[in-house]
Amino acid sequence: MEIFRNIWRRKLRSTLTISGIVIGVFALTTFGAFAENFNALIDGGVQYFGGSVQVGPPDGQAANLLPMSKIDEIKSVEGVEAAFAGYQFQAKPGGAFVVSFGVPDTIVAADPGEDAYSALKLTYASGRAVSTTSRGDVALGYTIAKEFKKKVGDTIDLPVRPADAKPDFINHTFNVVGLISETKTAPDSFAYINLADGQMLLRDSLPAQLRDSIDVTQITEGISVYGKHGTSLSELDKIADRINSEVPGVKALRPSDLVNAFRAGGQIFTGAAVAAALLALVVGGLSIINTMFMAVSDRVREIGLKKAVGATTTNILREFLVEATFMGLLGGLIGYGLGVLLVVVRNVFFPAADGSSLFLITPMLTGIAIGFAAVLGALAGVFPALRAARLDPVIALRND
Amino acid sequence: MAGVRLLNLTKHYKRGSEVIKALDGVTLDIDRGEFVAVIGRSGSGKTTMLDLLGLLLKPTAGNLVIDDVETTTLSDRERAHMRGRKVGFVFQEYNLLSGLNVYENVMLPQRYVKDGAEGKQRALELIDRVGLSDRIKHKPSELSGGQMQRVAIARSMVNKPSLILLDEPTGAVDTETAQQLVDLLKRLNREDQVTIVLVTHDLDIASQASRHIRLKDGRVLSDERVAEAVPV
Repeated sequence: MEIFRNIWRRKLRSTLTISGIVIGVFALTTFGAFAENFNALIDGGVQYFGGSVQVGPPDGQAANLLPMSKIDEIKSVEGVEAAFAGYQFQAKPGGAFVVSFGVPDTIVAADPGEDAYSALKLTYASGRAVSTTSRGDVALGYTIAKEFKKKVGDTIDLPVRPADAKPDFINHTFNVVGLISETKTAPDSFAYINLADGQMLLRDSLPAQLRDSIDVTQITEGISVYGKHGTSLSELDKIADRINSEVPGVKALRPSDLVNAFRAGGQIFTGAAVAAALLALVVGGLSIINTMFMAVSDRVREIGLKKAVGATTTNILREFLVEATFMGLLGGLIGYGLGVLLVVVRNVFFPAADGSSLFLITPMLTGIAIGFAAVLGALAGVFPALRAARLDPVIALRND
Repeated sequence: MAGVRLLNLTKHYKRGSEVIKALDGVTLDIDRGEFVAVIGRSGSGKTTMLDLLGLLLKPTAGNLVIDDVETTTLSDRERAHMRGRKVGFVFQEYNLLSGLNVYENVMLPQRYVKDGAEGKQRALELIDRVGLSDRIKHKPSELSGGQMQRVAIARSMVNKPSLILLDEPTGAVDTETAQQLVDLLKRLNREDQVTIVLVTHDLDIASQASRHIRLKDGRVLSDERVAEAVPV
């Protein structure tokens, strides 16, 4: 109660000080939520790409195509448990460039059996996965479904016809059979179809003169290779090396290279975001130090009196530390609350054009934002509190 | 029996190369329940003596025994605890906390001693005894000088100390209020058998104590016991 009173009796000063912390924690919360969202994407990417070896055409090959026969060759490499063909197409070809931290909307044609090997297991909020046999089915990722406002039973034309599409633009109507639960990573922007439909889209994408001369069932855009369940990243790297040395005409990417690239990007982004927020918080902390030093100066007689009536050095130290910590905590709670409000309003009412979220509030971010504010308050209070605690009561009592 | 014993109590300060003898080898006993007035001119050592008795200062030399405890060997923490338990202070400028009401100001020493419900009850009784029951929720800014000093007196007694030290307690109030405060102190001294040491310039006030100690240049110039203090 006395803490409230002490803070309240210097309303303007306390408000300005707490505002400093509020701004700092607000910045930490929003920048942090931004970084957390980005890191979730990174983690998903690490999980998604760190569990398989991606095989594509060798360097220098113009077309992003491989013969299907390479799958059997790759399967014979030591350590390879399974290998799957796959195709990817832009879901919105020719669309305007949209700033987004998610993966662009993509049509992914894959073998449904691949999910059994993938480190990132897909679950369905409603409906089911596409099957290998039925044609014209699609399962939509979380953000793409939100973007096009689709539910199970609806239809969607893919690829989406651009506004300035040529007369020969081809797309197909797919039945939405499943909505995938949010993964916070690439599959959220994916529309999954089966391989046969993928080959149909591949054929559509070829120049008209070549369509009939190429057997699309015999080519793939890439091959995803899996080891046994639980194969380590370093072991997958070795599998990639073996594929490169034993299978001609392909290039296997070492998954650790992909993972490291993801993580490096994440660290730079997180570092920049957190540094900006910490800077704001340090300014807030300095304002607490200033306020608490002024509070000590204002309350010299009070400190002397408390010592005269039995307060120990520790009692006085604790009182000022608690007050500084409370200011930090109060600023932290308000700043965090405002940050969450902004994040919720932004995510719910003003989502990105592609339906992806920009911010992600996590329990860790909550703990860091509020905890850091309280710790900062406590640390900022140490020197003023020590000064108060060490005051000579005789001098303090007769201070004018 | 002595409640407070000063034995060659000395406090010297250094100011540059000069040594200031604020208190210079004072030896005296103050019995339990005595009402002592310490008088003397400015710089005579009155306030230093009060600060030493209140354990706010450490003596340069000598001994100070309060309630059979030799205080000069105590640690800072032990001195703080003893101050809280054994000593009450009343200052000329009241030193009430402006944000606290009458009850909360009286309860302030309880924050560091903690007698629980008994302490709260005692605070209420003391507020009643000093005649401020109807002002219990008032802030210091809503009280007169005399009322504020009565709050300070109640606060000084809330921990049931054996010794109350008053530094010019009537210095900031008019004559009539000063007399009312002295009457209150005499009554509390008589009813609670608490030892009172009062520092004052005011000889009229001092004359109402049962003992007068006159200091000069840090030494005891005279020490007179009065047969019977003027009755209230």
